[in-house]
Amino acid sequence: MNDATQPSLAEGAPGERRLERFSFTGTAGEYFGIWIVNILLTILTLGIYSAWAKVRRQRYFYGNTKLAGRSFDYHARPMQILIGRIVVLAALLVYNAVATFFPIASLVLLALLIAVTPWLIKRGLRFNARVTSYRNVRLDFHGGYWGALLSFVIGPALAAVTLGFLAPLASRWAWRYTLGNVSYGGRKMDCDPRLKALYGQWWLPAVMVLLGTALLGLLAVAVFFPFGGAFPGADLGLAFLPVAVFIALALIYGVAGLFYRAGVRNVAFNAAMLDGRHQFVSTLGRRRYAWISTTNFLATICTIGLARPWAAVRMARYTATATAVLVSGVLDDYLNQVEETGPAVGAEYMDVEGIDFGF
Amino acid sequence: MGSDCPTITGVWHPPRSSRAVPSRFTTADGMATVTDAEGEAALATGAVDGLAISARVGAVPRRITFEDGSVFETEDNDAIDRWLGALYGRRAGLVHRLERFHPRLVLFVVLVALLCVGLYRYALPVTVEAAVALTPPAAPRLMSQGVLSSLDKAVLSPSRLEEARRAAITEEFRALAALTPEGADAFELNFREGGIIGPNAFALPDGTIILTDELVRLAQGEDAVLGVLAHEIGHVVHEHSLRRLYRAAGVTALIMFIGGDVGSGVEEVLVQGSGLLTLSYSRAQENEADRYSVELMAKAGREPTGLARLFEVLRDRYDDVSGNDFLSTHPATPDRIEDIRRHAQEVEGR
Repeated sequence: MNDATQPSLAEGAPGERRLERFSFTGTAGEYFGIWIVNILLTILTLGIYSAWAKVRRQRYFYGNTKLAGRSFDYHARPMQILIGRIVVLAALLVYNAVATFFPIASLVLLALLIAVTPWLIKRGLRFNARVTSYRNVRLDFHGGYWGALLSFVIGPALAAVTLGFLAPLASRWAWRYTLGNVSYGGRKMDCDPRLKALYGQWWLPAVMVLLGTALLGLLAVAVFFPFGGAFPGADLGLAFLPVAVFIALALIYGVAGLFYRAGVRNVAFNAAMLDGRHQFVSTLGRRRYAWISTTNFLATICTIGLARPWAAVRMARYTATATAVLVSGVLDDYLNQVEETGPAVGAEYMDVEGIDFGF
Repeated sequence: MGSDCPTITGVWHPPRSSRAVPSRFTTADGMATVTDAEGEAALATGAVDGLAISARVGAVPRRITFEDGSVFETEDNDAIDRWLGALYGRRAGLVHRLERFHPRLVLFVVLVALLCVGLYRYALPVTVEAAVALTPPAAPRLMSQGVLSSLDKAVLSPSRLEEARRAAITEEFRALAALTPEGADAFELNFREGGIIGPNAFALPDGTIILTDELVRLAQGEDAVLGVLAHEIGHVVHEHSLRRLYRAAGVTALIMFIGGDVGSGVEEVLVQGSGLLTLSYSRAQENEADRYSVELMAKAGREPTGLARLFEVLRDRYDDVSGNDFLSTHPATPDRIEDIRRHAQEVEGR
């Protein structure tokens, strides 16, 4: 059958480089059907179908993401997802029960949870990589425990403690860990975003946060000042004030965060190379990315969720078209090194915690 | 056989390889064959029964995996569906047929909306009630012991109130508790020094009630203290802590379980929104316990507005004139005083 032509890795013309753009071919109408049937069957089966729903959703997005004419594929089996989900749910239940019955013991449990989180993330990233294929060859992930601890526990903590001043350092660790530990057909991905480039994407969102909060402070003073110290008639308007301030802050941080995320993704992808020859390229427009994200969010809220399929497809399409690979030689000579992978506990934990690093 | 697959064009990958060969797929007599684009050289053959054919999702390329691990991939989903339909009947691809863009989807939207409302309005309260009823008495006891011992270690310290004062309050407390259906023995009053939580009182689900020295000293008159204790008895009688616990767990489960793909921003909004709902639920419980206090005090022949007297002291002392806001677990103090007085009038009018 297969005539044993194991391609030699040296073949292909190394000098020839061409830009292959990613594209996304899904449509809002098509995904709407998948999305609503997923929800309906999930409710009717009391949640069990959610594992099947996830597989169908992922297969739709992976299968419609194309590079050089071929699509990606998602191979997780619903049973793996279901088992992972049940394990995570049971663990959460135990955790909450302990927190209720033995509040002090829950502090110990929290420390334990923080200690196992890197392990879960490492396993989750590996699972997600191993169930992803392109041209019949699976991705793999080789990150270890300490890298995950650095990227997902120490990094974010450091960024928070320094009020965001060290956020680029945390981003560098995170991208070096997630993208830099991926391999394809046994060939490693390199990803080492430079700090200088990351800080180049950092100052604009930082200034936005600074100016935004300063403006908000001025506004708050302007609103409060006419009332003086003892305001008469503590009425509805004042009760809403903390909520208004909260929403304004969320807006400022949200938009600045979107600018930062898009910029950092560009830097990280542009610093990524597979197999020492295929160079990744990302050209997200920061304003455009923030615009799409915010309007997606508003549309979803205003339609009580019904616009979500449209929003998801719109975002997938934009990020795909802003991503490309500068291919050197042929993509024919990769051999799958990954056989199987265990239950999806780590991946489901990441899902619950909202840790998202899609490949 | 009438269920043979017509020739379908696509791409074939050798086992494990990323090499992509333009090819054709066809079946005859229960055997599937992939040949190269010219239809000359056979690349893979295998029994149709041994093929793994991926389920259809939208227009995503279909994958047919042979037993040797080689894969034929095609975008001609319709041809594959026709072939599988002839082979296995209408069962094949049922979910995909439901998902197709069709007026039927409007019906699904309505159905989902109805189910969501039904789950929240009816299934959730019923489940909470069932869970409360099914909770073995040992659970609240264990929970209360855990909470109290943690608080004793972290916040509270032994009471420094005079022995006689404590005995007097305990005796009146038991007289009050004896009027509940649960009887006086279902409750236990504990005195503690509040420390950072100051003048305060709270009930644990097993009937343990904690009263801080600061509150006793602040309250002017026994009826104010007893009004607070009657309020805490109300929390226990109505099993408020268990209800709140189960409800919060239920709402979280609903979001996680229906949520699916809503986007991270919206998920955040849902979680925060459910937090606000829990707070409003908690304020409703406080009002219920306030009304219970009025009724129990009246039943005991004491001043029904004792609780309001304490709130007035709190209000004057801490300048607490804030309006009702939906970010707190308790209703605004001035509103509570007013509600208690109104309810006391109703009770006395009966």
